Amino acid sequence: MAGEAPAKKEKKKVPIVEGLFTWPSDKPALIASRCKKCGAVMFPKAAYCPNPDCEKNPENIEIIELSRRGKLWSWTIQYYAPPPPFKMEPFKPYAIGMVDLPEGIRVLGILTTTENLKCDMEVELTVGKLYEDDENEYITWMWKPVEEEKK
Amino acid sequence: MERDVAIIGVGMVRWGRYPDPKRPDEYPERTMPELAVEAITNALKDAKISWRQIEAMVSGVYLWVNQQAGIHGTLSGTAIANLMGYTGIPIVSVANACATGQSILREAVLAVASGECDIALAVAADKSAFGFFRPQSTDGKSDIDYMRFVMCGETNPAYWAMECRRRMYEAGTTEEDLALVKVVTSKPAPFNPYARYRKTFTMEEVFKSPMVCEPLRLLEICATSDGAAAVIVAEYEKAKKICKKPVYINAVAVGTPTFGDPTVRLTYLSSNIRPGVPTLSESRNAVQKVYKMAGMTPDNIDVIELPDNSSWHYFAYLDCILNLDPGESEKLLRKGETDPITGRIPVCPSGGLGAFGEAVVAQGLAQVCELVWQLRGEAGERQVKKDVKVALAQTYGYAGNNAACIVSKGW
Repeated sequence: MAGEAPAKKEKKKVPIVEGLFTWPSDKPALIASRCKKCGAVMFPKAAYCPNPDCEKNPENIEIIELSRRGKLWSWTIQYYAPPPPFKMEPFKPYAIGMVDLPEGIRVLGILTTTENLKCDMEVELTVGKLYEDDENEYITWMWKPVEEEKK
Repeated sequence: MERDVAIIGVGMVRWGRYPDPKRPDEYPERTMPELAVEAITNALKDAKISWRQIEAMVSGVYLWVNQQAGIHGTLSGTAIANLMGYTGIPIVSVANACATGQSILREAVLAVASGECDIALAVAADKSAFGFFRPQSTDGKSDIDYMRFVMCGETNPAYWAMECRRRMYEAGTTEEDLALVKVVTSKPAPFNPYARYRKTFTMEEVFKSPMVCEPLRLLEICATSDGAAAVIVAEYEKAKKICKKPVYINAVAVGTPTFGDPTVRLTYLSSNIRPGVPTLSESRNAVQKVYKMAGMTPDNIDVIELPDNSSWHYFAYLDCILNLDPGESEKLLRKGETDPITGRIPVCPSGGLGAFGEAVVAQGLAQVCELVWQLRGEAGERQVKKDVKVALAQTYGYAGNNAACIVSKGW
């Protein structure tokens, strides 16, 4: 067709798996469960406390949003594409890390960069796209290094 | 245990890929039950007994049932018996991930130790030779493994690499140490007829191999393989009548995690951290248990088979087995003390997972087969130089599964 292409409509951002983080949100946070008795936290959320000494009573469980900032315990860069059902289009080597949060939980997640990563550096939760179709962008949570000046 | 138990026969198939179109003579088309039959047949031959003398059987359960084998991968025991010929004996199928091998050895030992029967078989066959492992459902509502994989794409080597980097940060492990693991563990590989990769590697070759998950290179992680192994156990007095060299089972135990262990295990997205709880607690728990059962300490152990899925594992699991602080295992390796043949504490004289590639549920039994051959002095050119009286094997698996055993000369 001649003429200008129609203005690009912004695609909807859709979590690949719903319910793992608050969305839509300007400040997305991971959704976890916490035991009101002992404080043990589970991500993804569960109906029971994982502490062997706690009563298995769903009434003792509250749903919480985890801290958005934590310390990068460790990370790696994956140079080869994981097999399906993982999907990243186009694939490029990316970093995965484990992050310690103040709630006493260590959480996995993709990092927004492969550059200048260090053990124990501060990171913050954000979201990022892994692939898209005509309608939507499909997103997951990601950890983003907190720049020095922002601290 | 109520009654003493010993190993009277072991059998394996060569690890690899069945079929391998490039080497059809060595690796023909074989199903999992068919590989199991070959391993059982070798073990029966080794024990010089017949299939009808087996009074109970425990079978390893295949994990990748959505990709192949299906329901017969789960109900593997009766699928194998269907080929061996039904004899009406009790058969149980057990899934404990990579720790399945010694977990089913434990079940077979308990069947004999309790007096339920006198001769029992543990068998596991696996076809895992297809690269990175992956979730087995598309259930985004309840399968945490699926959620983990689609949201993060964490492959097994990615997990190992994260552990490895932290160890380098805390204990000072170097890239040279990581490469040296492959060089040292691959020394006996050319002499093991059951190994898939019968080759010794140089530092240069390891460093030239591509980075898979930084800091781990291709030659510092294990492949995935097909394989099968079988171990026959008998009541000790009966074992002494059946064979000249019964291998006494001092201890066999399964370990699971301690609450508060910070390890984010494969298949999971997070872990709860409680002060003072160590990492890899399922492994420490299994190892401490076998020492306690056997009334032994690390000083009693003459040879070790450990799960060297990656160079990081070698150090981390040597720590667990020898009760070392992080960094000490590296020193032992550098000094040659863990050389698989000439070492003071030989580690992985089989060539380890590096030479085999991991056939998940069969791997633990393959370790036991090697220890039996080493104790009997039948390991040929890879026979460890020192006198071997007591041996320890340990495997760890997905999602908090671990198993270990201590075996010794029973003659």
